[in-house]
Amino acid sequence: MRTEAVVEARELHKVYVTGSVRTPALNGVDVTLSRGEFAAMAGPSGSGKSTLLHLLGGLDKPTSGEVLVSGAPISALSRAQLAQLRLRHVGFVFQAYNLIPVLTVLENAMFVLELQGLPLARRRKQALAVLAELGVDKYAHQFPNKLSGGEQQRVAVARAVVSDPAIVLADEPTANLDTKTSLDLIDLMRRMNEEHKTTFLFATHDTRLLDRVDRVIHLEDGRIARDERVR
Amino acid sequence: MKAALRHLLRGRRRTILAALAVFVPVFLLVVFLGMIGGMEKEMFASLTGFDTGHFQIRRVSDRPAGNALPLIRDPAPLLSLVDASDDVAWYTVRLDLPALAAAGGRSLGVVVQGISPAEATFHSPLARAVRAGRYLEPGDEGVVVGQQLLDALGVSVGDELILLGAHPQGAAGVALPRVVGTFTIPDPALGRGLVQVDLGVAQRLARTAGITAIVGYVRDVDGPWDAPRIVDAVARIRAQLPEGYEILDWAALAPESEMYLRIMRPITVAFMVAFFFLGGLVVLNTLYLSVLERTRELGIMLALGAPRRYVTGQVILESGLLATGAAVVGAVVGLGFVLGVEAAGGLPLPGAYEVGMALFGIEPLLRMRITAAEVVLSAMAMVAVAMAAAWYPARRAAALEPLETMRHAD
Repeated sequence: MRTEAVVEARELHKVYVTGSVRTPALNGVDVTLSRGEFAAMAGPSGSGKSTLLHLLGGLDKPTSGEVLVSGAPISALSRAQLAQLRLRHVGFVFQAYNLIPVLTVLENAMFVLELQGLPLARRRKQALAVLAELGVDKYAHQFPNKLSGGEQQRVAVARAVVSDPAIVLADEPTANLDTKTSLDLIDLMRRMNEEHKTTFLFATHDTRLLDRVDRVIHLEDGRIARDERVR
Repeated sequence: MKAALRHLLRGRRRTILAALAVFVPVFLLVVFLGMIGGMEKEMFASLTGFDTGHFQIRRVSDRPAGNALPLIRDPAPLLSLVDASDDVAWYTVRLDLPALAAAGGRSLGVVVQGISPAEATFHSPLARAVRAGRYLEPGDEGVVVGQQLLDALGVSVGDELILLGAHPQGAAGVALPRVVGTFTIPDPALGRGLVQVDLGVAQRLARTAGITAIVGYVRDVDGPWDAPRIVDAVARIRAQLPEGYEILDWAALAPESEMYLRIMRPITVAFMVAFFFLGGLVVLNTLYLSVLERTRELGIMLALGAPRRYVTGQVILESGLLATGAAVVGAVVGLGFVLGVEAAGGLPLPGAYEVGMALFGIEPLLRMRITAAEVVLSAMAMVAVAMAAAWYPARRAAALEPLETMRHAD
């Protein structure tokens, strides 16, 4: 049976240019993520994990090569079109949580839905459901700075998955969390992946996370060194 | 909206600084406009009340020698005309004569104004300026003089004054009226150079039954801003004037004062534009710092897919809320100050201002007057300046690269 590709990278190259210095970050990466995958990119610092994550999420543009999200090429999209793509198809989880400090937990979770133009009642219902699923609905009316790191990251996950995106890209989501909190968070994301078929791709060093994903893509010097199914 | 309000509350010190940058110019503008309005009203009242009236009807001819106005020997048809006009609130007749006032071996050149006390008692500001004795009564044989003239001649209320007057178209005469009252007015030239007597006394002095002018006041005129009403009324009366007579409005009778009143407001507004510009710069600087502080947050919004116009809108909304709030408070406090000063009957100014204010014929008393439109416009103008100042930080926020911001933030 052919699985649906949600994100594809074809012969991706990325070179950062600072003055006359050219720093290659990706050197021809081909990778495809299918719907419902729970995958991670691993590799040493500077191997290109974050760069690839940003290119796949439309946060940056490749020097050459192509990225397809839900089958549509995105390299030629304008900034405004890329913003729309991120809004409609991609969820992000960041290492530093990056919640909006002046919005409550519920408002943070509803933020993307508000940008999508959903009516208040619907976005409130949808956001509360996801917050409940992640066990943070009791903090709905609190501001993020009142929450622990683990709780904030759960809210960040809620914000990423609330609009049912094609893929959730998470950059070192457990790096700032202790072991128990990390494992709990990973289990929650795993459950969302299994129950909703949400596709997750992590960029991580964290072996606790690497032990729980289905697929690990090893990057070295901007290339895929190994792409293995681990479960 | 909620987020913008919370931002403002989160950065309280910054918000207070930016709010002050809006509040202060609006407050000052309302107060300054109030002062200008008060000065304009006082100057206009002094000028038209003591001297020109809103208009004067005179005989057209080359001025007789001695700088006297030509005589109107038969004012009856003109008085009927003015009497019939719906525009005219009240009027009086005047016979102005160049004269010499003398007492106790001292003498001074004055203008003797023969007036009709019946009307003037109720309407003339000079009647209200009498501080000692009383004002003229119909058929009065006495004279009212300025305190400055009284001091210069060394006489008191009840003393006799020698008036030696003449009109080039009449004849010379002498009158010996008693001083029945003294008036105190801010303009020392008028206080020293103007005496008022009953029209009959003046006519006997010049040996004529004529007058030199009909001085009229137009209905519903409160200050120079109502000048168009005077212009219209004058035009209507002019159309009916018999040949050989002219009607001059206050602006034609005192062109220097009219010009001063006309340029006072634009000059003040020009100063206020500078205030607004400085206020705008503080708002710009504060919002710019706010955007810098929120680089990460705005970058996250962009990363999550917020359109650039959303981010621009957030910054503009924040500045709009701040500017509107501060401008409304500034306008209300300014209006409260103006109304408070007026309710207290004006604020006395230090003595140093006495001479300066007297040049404009007004007392050293800060009077204020402002209209609702001026208050609203002051607030709206500053909101517009603040919004314009917010434009650059808003554009800068929208131009952020989400990835760069997050790298910077992490």
